[in-house]
Amino acid sequence: MTVGDWKEPEGEKFALGTVEEQARWQAEYHRLVRDTVERERAGRGTDVDVDLRTIGMRIPRNDALYKVRGRARYAGNIEMEGMLYGRFVRSQYPHARILKIDISKAETAPGVKGILTAAEIPDDRLLVGPISDDTPILARDKVRFAGEPIVAIVAETEQQAEAACLLVEVDYEPLETVITPEQALAEGTVRIDPEDGNVITDLHHSQGDIEIGFTEADIILENDFETEPIDHCFLETPAGVAFVDSDDVLTVLVCTQYPHYHHKQLARVTGRPMERVRVVQTVVGGAFGGKMDNTVECASALLTLKTGRPVKIVFTREEVFTATTKRHAMKIHQRLGATKDGRITALDVRNLFDGGAYRSYSMICSGRCVIHAGMPYRIPNLRVRHTAVFTNHAPSGAMRSFGVVKVAFAMECQLNELADKLGMSPIEIRRINGLVDGDHTSTGQTLTDVGLLKSLDAIEPIYEQRQKDLAGQSNGTRRRGLGIACLGYGIGYSGVRNPSTARVRAEADGTVTAFCGTPDIGTGSDTSLAMVAAESAGIAVDRIRVVSGDSTKTDDSGPTSASRTTYFSGNAAHIAGQDFKQQFETAVANKLHAPREEVRLQEDSVIARNERMTFEEACRLIGDEIDGIGGYGKFDPDIAVNILTFEGNPYPTYVFATHLVEIEVDTELGTTDLLKAWCAHDAGTIVNPTGAEGQIEGGVAMGVGQALWERVVRQDGYIMNPHYRDYLLPGAKDVTQEIESIFVDTHDRTGPYGAKGVAEVSLIPIPAAMASAVADAVDARPSHLPMDAEYMLGLLNGNGA
Amino acid sequence: MTVDVTLNVNGRPHSLSVEPTETVVGILRERLGLTGTHKDCSMGVCGACTVLLDDRPVSSCLLLAPQADGREIRTVEGLERDGRLSPLQQAFLTHGAVQCGYCTPGFLMTATALLEENPKPTRSEIVEAIKGNLCRCTGYKKIIEAVESVTG
Repeated sequence: MTVGDWKEPEGEKFALGTVEEQARWQAEYHRLVRDTVERERAGRGTDVDVDLRTIGMRIPRNDALYKVRGRARYAGNIEMEGMLYGRFVRSQYPHARILKIDISKAETAPGVKGILTAAEIPDDRLLVGPISDDTPILARDKVRFAGEPIVAIVAETEQQAEAACLLVEVDYEPLETVITPEQALAEGTVRIDPEDGNVITDLHHSQGDIEIGFTEADIILENDFETEPIDHCFLETPAGVAFVDSDDVLTVLVCTQYPHYHHKQLARVTGRPMERVRVVQTVVGGAFGGKMDNTVECASALLTLKTGRPVKIVFTREEVFTATTKRHAMKIHQRLGATKDGRITALDVRNLFDGGAYRSYSMICSGRCVIHAGMPYRIPNLRVRHTAVFTNHAPSGAMRSFGVVKVAFAMECQLNELADKLGMSPIEIRRINGLVDGDHTSTGQTLTDVGLLKSLDAIEPIYEQRQKDLAGQSNGTRRRGLGIACLGYGIGYSGVRNPSTARVRAEADGTVTAFCGTPDIGTGSDTSLAMVAAESAGIAVDRIRVVSGDSTKTDDSGPTSASRTTYFSGNAAHIAGQDFKQQFETAVANKLHAPREEVRLQEDSVIARNERMTFEEACRLIGDEIDGIGGYGKFDPDIAVNILTFEGNPYPTYVFATHLVEIEVDTELGTTDLLKAWCAHDAGTIVNPTGAEGQIEGGVAMGVGQALWERVVRQDGYIMNPHYRDYLLPGAKDVTQEIESIFVDTHDRTGPYGAKGVAEVSLIPIPAAMASAVADAVDARPSHLPMDAEYMLGLLNGNGA
Repeated sequence: MTVDVTLNVNGRPHSLSVEPTETVVGILRERLGLTGTHKDCSMGVCGACTVLLDDRPVSSCLLLAPQADGREIRTVEGLERDGRLSPLQQAFLTHGAVQCGYCTPGFLMTATALLEENPKPTRSEIVEAIKGNLCRCTGYKKIIEAVESVTG
């Protein structure tokens, strides 16, 4: 066992700075928040809910102070005495048997301190994965995609580690490469996975009678849709630091959406008891679903144990493209039946997923695609078949919406074509079919607090006005178009309980800490959770510090994913805040020998027997007993779905939205510009409008990229554009600043202060809305993402669709 | 082979012996401990590593140390004055222009250069200036609004 003398670098979890600097920044943050609260209160007037002291305010983020100073503690910024730097040898082949790995030259290379191969890892510790343990930490006998890690090397410098990697000789026997899902399913194709062959999952779901549904239809639309793989392109590449501290705790500081997952996994992989492993999330430079798999964690941990020195591994951008998960390439075949008056009678869906080389989140994405088929509409007769298969591509995994953006692309395009064919407006067709309170989803769940029609109401007058404004303007080679798309999306894991917990504690000096399991991955969730906890406890928001994403200090509350943090962890913070308030009031009452009901904690002070004392005074009064006060909140809604029949209540609540976009197509160049987007969301109560708008604006930008350019280009199992020069991301000139976020007036009875969430969902309607706007502009229907210039010119020439 | 260079970073001279191919971003991060300048694409596309070289924004991943010899480099750590945030930093904070924050230092440097040269840029001049900085979280709107809020 390796016992290190290594100390975690001093300072706040999120900031690199001296104690004095941090105290100064904290004081600055207090002033900023107090000013904000005062200003917002003054502007609120009397017509608002005066009981809500913090919820709904534009409270600045509590981490932005470090970030604008360049002092945020991203994992790549952490340096420690004695640190070694790691790099990987990666597979040169998309599918091959490994015959021999020769590390002898690398072992004697300058600066090399440790080399790890699969041969050293016991069988029962080699395979890891977020859902199924099927992905080797390092490949042993076989590689399944080009870029798969085979050897990890640590050296005194990153350059030395890189140089040593080039000295490793791997002998391969190339195998047949499986490139397409159709090839994977064909008879006689080589089997990629020893257990399951080439099928990851094959899901069936039906409701009603599909044949009767089509018999009732007056019109049937049958179309194919296809989407290309895309990359998350979080700007911070995966990075982590591993070391054994002086208490013999293996500590991994890493950018992740789910530290507790790595915690359990590292305990198994290293054979250590869980209390001898600690995973601390560092500031995360974007994630979007792409930081929930093992990247640097296991190799850095095993190498720090092997060498006895701290190990840092930072991926290059090229590694991100070649070796981390992608959004699934997907093919969708859809038959949609409806009556003349626009009522949907039947929907038949066939989905095919390119799952890549390992399972990652393919099961989860598949399940969500099945449950969300036909959302957010009433579909009396539904049949879905969804197959995800292995190919020799980098694994496909979770990315913002878990596949629903593609399901929505097909469904919304179909619906808009239906409206056109029936001579209806896209608003009208959605009003006829859109889910309302009391409706059932395809899994039989009864819905409440559905804001879909409210979001349509918000968009309708804008749509009608823009239609009038644009009439007759679209001619020549620059053609304008309007497109509408809706969404319905379930919050949280699909059909599996996923509780969140929170703990609220106070110190004798009046500082309060909320311990929340779900980490802030860049969205500002720590600030939202502080707001909820403060509101419920009756104290000032700047008094609360949130500690999240630390496997030792917080409970496992699941990952920050599936748009679940505001709703799940927000509810936990709410319950914990209330519990804290109760206990605190009781403690003050006991000290004063006052009746319990005569003590109230509100607006950051305590009123006891009609006398007011500050929160600090109350803390001093309580004295040492303050350690016994621990507000605890657990939110664990009863959700379940039968994986065979898809019956049940898969999510505790759903969010809805309607987006309208205005675009212009240059018919000579085939290029498309987004000119304006109106995004009406039913997200429940908005906890922090600045944060919620930020989520919507960012989602629109990501949607524009997916709609127009983004595509991981693959050839024979190799990625041809593993860098930003050929993988085009939307820049400031490509994304309109004309994004209007509209929050419709809804209140979720089960959410914290009525909140549901935003996050992923703002992305979902954008590609569909843009495709519909293109159809409006050029009178041809796109069925492929991205709608890049090449595709558009084919479409305009009548051979693209 | 190494060469001796002097890099003036945030007003302080640093005499260093460097490989001719060493990049400024590497020196800032690894040798001077100035990790606010971030590294991502390493090919001058994303803008995360933007610093000011003699007041002009450049990608420090493409800037070799000998090219910067004797010249003035400014990084995000040099934006504060006497422990107080610059108006632009303050605006990023209050306008919600920061989400994950990884791109933030690059945007701050690019926009600082813009405002020093042109204190009253139009919206399209702001967009033109920041077009070489990528952000995956915000959709740019709040970044542009933050820059706009401190113009003249």
